[in-house]
Amino acid sequence: MTLKRFSLSGFLSLWPAWILLSLVVAALFAPAIVPFDPDRQNLLARLKPPGFESRGAAYFLGSDELGRDVLSRLIYGARISLAVAALSVILSGAVGILVGMAAGYLRGWSETILMRLVDIFLSIPAILLAIITVAVLGPGFINVILVLALTRWPRYARVAYGQTLAIADRPFVQLARAMGSSPWRVLAIHILPNIIGPLMVVATLEFGLMVLFEAGLSFLGLGVQPPTASWGSMMSSGRNYIATAWWITMFPGIALFLLVLSANLIGDRFSDHIGDGK
Amino acid sequence: MSLLTIQDLAIRTNDLSLVDGVTLDVQKGEVVALVGESGSGKSLTAMSVMGLLGDGLFVDGGTIKFDDTDLTQASSTTLNRLRGNEIAMIFQEPVSSLNPLLSVGAQVAESLVVHGRASPAQAYTKAIEMLRQVGIPEPESRARQLPSELSGGMCQRVMIAAALISNPRLLIADEPTTALDVTIQAQILDLMKDLTARSDTAILLITHDMGVVAELADRVCVMYGGSVVEQGPVDDIFEAPHHPYTQMLLKTLPRLDEPPKGALFAIPGNVPSPKDWPNGCRFQSRCDRPSDRCQTRPLLQGSETHRFACFHPVGDAS
Ligand SMILES: Nc1ncnc2c1ncn2[C@@H]1O[C@H](COP(=O)(O)OP(=O)(O)OP(=O)(O)O)[C@@H](O)[C@H]1O
Ligand code: SF4
Ligand SMILES: [Mg+2]
Repeated sequence: MTLKRFSLSGFLSLWPAWILLSLVVAALFAPAIVPFDPDRQNLLARLKPPGFESRGAAYFLGSDELGRDVLSRLIYGARISLAVAALSVILSGAVGILVGMAAGYLRGWSETILMRLVDIFLSIPAILLAIITVAVLGPGFINVILVLALTRWPRYARVAYGQTLAIADRPFVQLARAMGSSPWRVLAIHILPNIIGPLMVVATLEFGLMVLFEAGLSFLGLGVQPPTASWGSMMSSGRNYIATAWWITMFPGIALFLLVLSANLIGDRFSDHIGDGK
Repeated sequence: MSLLTIQDLAIRTNDLSLVDGVTLDVQKGEVVALVGESGSGKSLTAMSVMGLLGDGLFVDGGTIKFDDTDLTQASSTTLNRLRGNEIAMIFQEPVSSLNPLLSVGAQVAESLVVHGRASPAQAYTKAIEMLRQVGIPEPESRARQLPSELSGGMCQRVMIAAALISNPRLLIADEPTTALDVTIQAQILDLMKDLTARSDTAILLITHDMGVVAELADRVCVMYGGSVVEQGPVDDIFEAPHHPYTQMLLKTLPRLDEPPKGALFAIPGNVPSPKDWPNGCRFQSRCDRPSDRCQTRPLLQGSETHRFACFHPVGDAS
């Protein structure tokens, strides 16, 4: 690997990564950087436009119908978006990869059963399945993650299955078996590292989708419950004031758009990279 | 008692027979060469001993006994206990047979780790020692490299080290020296010879190279068209081959005691591919002495030690 010299255009072309990184940093250090307590209501400063100042403190992105600071809620909302997306990607990825690799490597009846299950899950519209399951389980942070994992693992299973099939007969996998490695060792040490690239592409694209799903569920009131700030519920409650106080819905919308776009662009970049790496 | 006994082995896909009539045995500490042209079924035979036939291939009859265990019937637990421990294999293609993302040191150490015969750290130290023994310079730093950073010949030696490290009772070596230049080849052959002498390891050596056979083997087993056509002690086979195919194979060897007569002898024609196998003797299309009898399949016959499958063996006047 060569160390590239710093170049402005190179730096700028990585903007999706910078956006994602700054959101992660903002989310991690939210308590330290927010100008207001995100849940503190101030009935004297309701529906104030961006830049409004009250007693020396500025509402940079305006305030909502209960006089809460939109910027502070946006930053706290990033925590929810990122945490839900990351945890559901990890959970669904782990389950899906395990299922797909087992089906692709063990073959036989486990392949038949597991992959039929995948087909069934993939044929149910994901958002519908999510809505139904939340309706049954009830809303809340943990449940949203479980629901997203439940609906999304088949995507990873498909890719892991195909990749495992493609690689299982390669001579180096045969050699690992010729050394007496157990199936689990072959899968973990010899197959997984060789198929992780395409799976990371899926995970990155799924990350963007999970951010959207979480916002969608919260918008419908099926996600994280008030007063906890989430971009989806902010947009949902701001909806009634869109004519008079556009900032309540607009800023979470922009944040959502940028985060999803960044995740997708990173995923594309990733997949190009893997493409010419072979 | 023999270490490995293969009896009437047949291998096929769903719609094609690829190997049938492989009978051979390997005694403790002995080197048996399995020779034959490309496509004669040598690798398939080896892979079936390992229980590693690829997808869509299966054993369709016959037995493969290792000690008293029939490997064709053995559970995967039994196979995993033997593989990389009592039976090791060197694969034909060195580069694609190594994991591209694992350091070669770890890959050489793998079988010791898998069988719990050494801690990972001890196994790695042994791996470095093994890499040194197969002639890899600066093994400490080489061990940390990935296969892609090594040449084909180096990868070949890594594979050999990975197989030898477990000190197996049976080593199956599929063309172990083809990717190597002549000096290294001699070095590796010496190492394998040394190994058999020192630790009583038996070797099933698959090769095209009759020179290697002469150098290393105690006995020879000749394959043609998916079955064994002749087998016997190396001296007998070289002195007095009975099967016309063996005779032709030996003519391909350049001889030091005769001046070369122009181009090297090559066997005219090709090995028929499994889907074009004729009824009867599979060598008939290239044989110089076929008769009507050759329309039926010749069985292995001859003495206890030297057997051949031909109706009109070389040197037989009748
Ligand atoms: N997976 C497979 N499916 C169908 N045919 C196969 C398969 N693997 C091997 N064969 C065929 O079986 C025959 C024997 O193959 P094998 O690899 O054992 O030959 P070989 O003697 O090792 O040749 P070489 O010296 O070239 O390595 C060949 O005709 C080959 O095309
Ligand atoms: S059996 Fe007949 S065809 Fe076959 S090798 Fe002998 S003589 Fe030739
Ligand atoms: Mg072969």
